[in-house]
Amino acid sequence: MERLTPRVRVVWLVVAGIRAAIVGGVIVGGALAVSSTGVWASEPDWFVPAAVGLAVVLAGVRILVAWLRYSVWRFEVRDDGLYIERGVFTRIKTVVPYVRVQHVDSRRSPIERTTGLATMVVYTAGSRSADVAIPGLTPERADGLREELRRLAIESEGEDAV
Amino acid sequence: MRKLHPASVAVRSVSRSVNTGLLFFVVGIVASPGSAGANLLGVGGMVLVGILVGIVYEFAYYERFRYELTADTFDVTSGVLARRDREVPLRRIQNVDVRQNVLVRALGLAAVHVETAGGGQTEVTLQYVGEGEARRLRRRLLNGSVDADELDSDADSAADRVDIGDEEELLFAMQPRELAVLSSFTIDPGASLLGGIALSFASGFDPGTLIPFGLLEDLPGTGLFALAWAVLLFLLAAWIVSAALTFNRYYGFRLTRVDDELYYERGLLQRYSGTIPLDKVQTLTIAESVPFRWFGYGSLAVETAGYAPGQAGARGTESAIPLAGRDRVLALARSIEPFGDLDFERPPRRARERYAVRYLVVVAIVVAAGYLVSTVTSLGGYWYALALLTVVVPIAAHLKWSSRGYRFDDRLLLTRTGFWRRTTKVVPYYRVQAVVHTQTVFQRRRRLANVTADTASSASFFGRAGTAYDVDADHGLEMQAHIETRLQERLRARDRDRSSGNWFRTVSGDDEDTSSTESS
Repeated sequence: MERLTPRVRVVWLVVAGIRAAIVGGVIVGGALAVSSTGVWASEPDWFVPAAVGLAVVLAGVRILVAWLRYSVWRFEVRDDGLYIERGVFTRIKTVVPYVRVQHVDSRRSPIERTTGLATMVVYTAGSRSADVAIPGLTPERADGLREELRRLAIESEGEDAV
Repeated sequence: MRKLHPASVAVRSVSRSVNTGLLFFVVGIVASPGSAGANLLGVGGMVLVGILVGIVYEFAYYERFRYELTADTFDVTSGVLARRDREVPLRRIQNVDVRQNVLVRALGLAAVHVETAGGGQTEVTLQYVGEGEARRLRRRLLNGSVDADELDSDADSAADRVDIGDEEELLFAMQPRELAVLSSFTIDPGASLLGGIALSFASGFDPGTLIPFGLLEDLPGTGLFALAWAVLLFLLAAWIVSAALTFNRYYGFRLTRVDDELYYERGLLQRYSGTIPLDKVQTLTIAESVPFRWFGYGSLAVETAGYAPGQAGARGTESAIPLAGRDRVLALARSIEPFGDLDFERPPRRARERYAVRYLVVVAIVVAAGYLVSTVTSLGGYWYALALLTVVVPIAAHLKWSSRGYRFDDRLLLTRTGFWRRTTKVVPYYRVQAVVHTQTVFQRRRRLANVTADTASSASFFGRAGTAYDVDADHGLEMQAHIETRLQERLRARDRDRSSGNWFRTVSGDDEDTSSTESS
């Protein structure tokens, strides 16, 4: 079983931080708006602090999940198919047979580019596994993996056909 | 190159000129000379212009529309202003639908819709061709290969030959009783809601259904009783509309089989017919909802990778058999994908405790809500009576548990779930795209897991893939490996079949797995 590059935590934490900031901004901003405009005439004293607390808790959970995700994530290039294990709360183990691979992408978001990482995406015709993505790869590994999967997909098509 | 049926100009002009006429009616009103408002002559003139433009456009459309059936593609050239040339490879075609409304049917015309696996839209629409031509196209488009001498040269005689040559085997014709049961118990949510409002308003049932609070005193009884009365009338109206719609939709349903294609026909005012190529079937779904199950009925949906036949707008898959006796449904399903007995392996007993706990949590929430309502408002003081719901919990948990299960057959996986709507999925191994093993936090505590065999079926978009729920976690991993092994085996077996003759049919038949796009 192959692990991801540990640096992927940085990517996940940054993304989690941005999302938590947006959600927290909405929650706290909404609470401030309610208390300052007086829509709710007699809101309790703890109303705004509670909103801040909620935002902090949500952010904490999000960041904790982003941190824990790394220890769960692993994948393996098997003989017949790609095997992926992931998920902090819901554990998901996916097998994608090479015969079913439609095409393979590697891509890099801005955050991934600054951390020197890449994501590889495998597409099938299936409706719920349409994009199976492996994040946190070094660009070389992502390209190598993409080539490997492409080769395996073509080979399996040659033998087992469609 | 062939053209559409000449009469199609007239039919299309009717609907087109209604649209353009309306548009120019608005233009006429807006652009009426002076600010004195609409001038009848001016507006009438604009409407006439609109209708003329519509007719001229349709005539040009007809003149510039050409289609041709070649040995391996279906070519369509169309477009009045922007020209479009389209070639659809025959082996990529998933289904061909033929639709006729009352007007078109009276003229002996039909609209042909060709679906491929890619994209969300109908690939090619022919509006309209003759009925015989529609039949010929349907047969030829799905056969994948056409004998050279049967190409466009002698279309009409070919159409005749199709009718005489291919024997249609009648698989299923809906009986009046079945149609009656289906119409009475099917609820068409959107349409019946709107229709219910309209009908209850129009028939004077009770305008109060729209604004019940203002008219409470006019109704028999007062307060909550009047409200209940209004709701009842509304539901009655909605039910009548829904039944009428369902009756219209499935009137005269028949399903026939020609070679390896299913062919269905249905509809009273708008006649639909279409084909389901059997070698493109991804998944079969047998659904037995509670009122139907008690009467011994069920439905069968045949899912392909293309858009489901007749699927338009919000409706999901259109059933291959909307309703029939359970035996007939099973027999037909078995003739498509042979499977054995329906005895299912149930989830382990500890899954049942899980459901019980889940329902207890729901009851607790309901009781808490009742308590809140009773303290905040003046409604009801017996909120703790809601706790009596606990009695139902064990029964509900048992029913949920006992209606779930899975079964490995030789060539396919069967899964079942749901008490109110018992759904049995038949998934051939060689259609499996990926196998997913999931465990939520709560499932992990009890060492349970869900195993989903995903296919390219367009229906599983709506979260209804073949899933074995709450199996033992370790066994789930074995299942995952097993399904994958069987997939490879079945693919090899099919490969052998193919190399030993029968080559062309199989190739044209099952390579949409890899060719269908990720959007399917």
